[in-house]
Amino acid sequence: MGELLSGLFAIGAGIAVATGIGAGVGIGIVTGKATEAIARQPEQSGRITTTMLIGCALAETTAIYGLVISLILLPK
Amino acid sequence: MMEVINEAIAENLAPPVKVSVLGLFTVSEPVIICWVITLLLTVGAYLLTRNLKIVPSKSQVILEASIGGFNNFCEAQLGKHWRPFAPWLGTLFLFLLFSNLLGLIGVMPPTKTLSLTAALALLSMLLIYGSQMRYRGLVGGLLQFSKPLPFMVPFNLLDMFTRPLSLCMRLFGNMMAAHMVMGMIHAVVPLVVPIVFSLYFDLFDGLMQAFVFVFLTLLFTSEGIHDHE
Repeated sequence: MGELLSGLFAIGAGIAVATGIGAGVGIGIVTGKATEAIARQPEQSGRITTTMLIGCALAETTAIYGLVISLILLPK
Repeated sequence: MMEVINEAIAENLAPPVKVSVLGLFTVSEPVIICWVITLLLTVGAYLLTRNLKIVPSKSQVILEASIGGFNNFCEAQLGKHWRPFAPWLGTLFLFLLFSNLLGLIGVMPPTKTLSLTAALALLSMLLIYGSQMRYRGLVGGLLQFSKPLPFMVPFNLLDMFTRPLSLCMRLFGNMMAAHMVMGMIHAVVPLVVPIVFSLYFDLFDGLMQAFVFVFLTLLFTSEGIHDHE
């Protein structure tokens, strides 16, 4: 019973890290659009870059939540 | 190979080591590291600003340029009330920078412990909502929760807790993950390969997270006190 339970915990931790997929797609879109914007208006590149960093940070949050949850599950 | 990896993971998840200070009381290791960083920053600030001159020396030029740059950055975001916020945000940035980059020299970065990032996020929360009340008055500050539309009140109240939570978890998660991945790489390939990964995980990630923490605090604060009309 104990081994089964810890196995299930490990599977749960693995599923929790799958939140990284969304973050990866999100950061990809943000960076792609930022590159397009800089190509269109190179003189605005400073402001676009800071906005992009914020977008990346916010998109990354879900992945971090998944990581924290998997860390909570892991040592069981 | 699995054993070394598991060992590296267990080492990262273990509670911080308790250290006794002069036999008087015990504190955990990250606290000591924070004290050292604070001491370094204080002494550094004293030494760098000790004898400022009208005709600046080399270090003073660099100092003035970086402080001026940071002040301009704050002013661009915060508008006319930027003055009281710039010193705190700059100090926060320097502290986070030093503690995140400690991973480069093999010391455990203190931002990898949840208690430190939670404390910093609570301070940010106090700053965001305190400044909102300070510059709009108590009633105006409370009314700000009903902007832009009255039905947004529950979401804005929820924001009050999710903002510090995500600030805290973002910093903790990133530093923890970076340190853990570096530990695993060190356990598997101790030579050459860690240098390449260290550039990303220690240097880039540390810089990035220090900047993001400060910039998000700045952005939320400016949202509270700044009208875009």
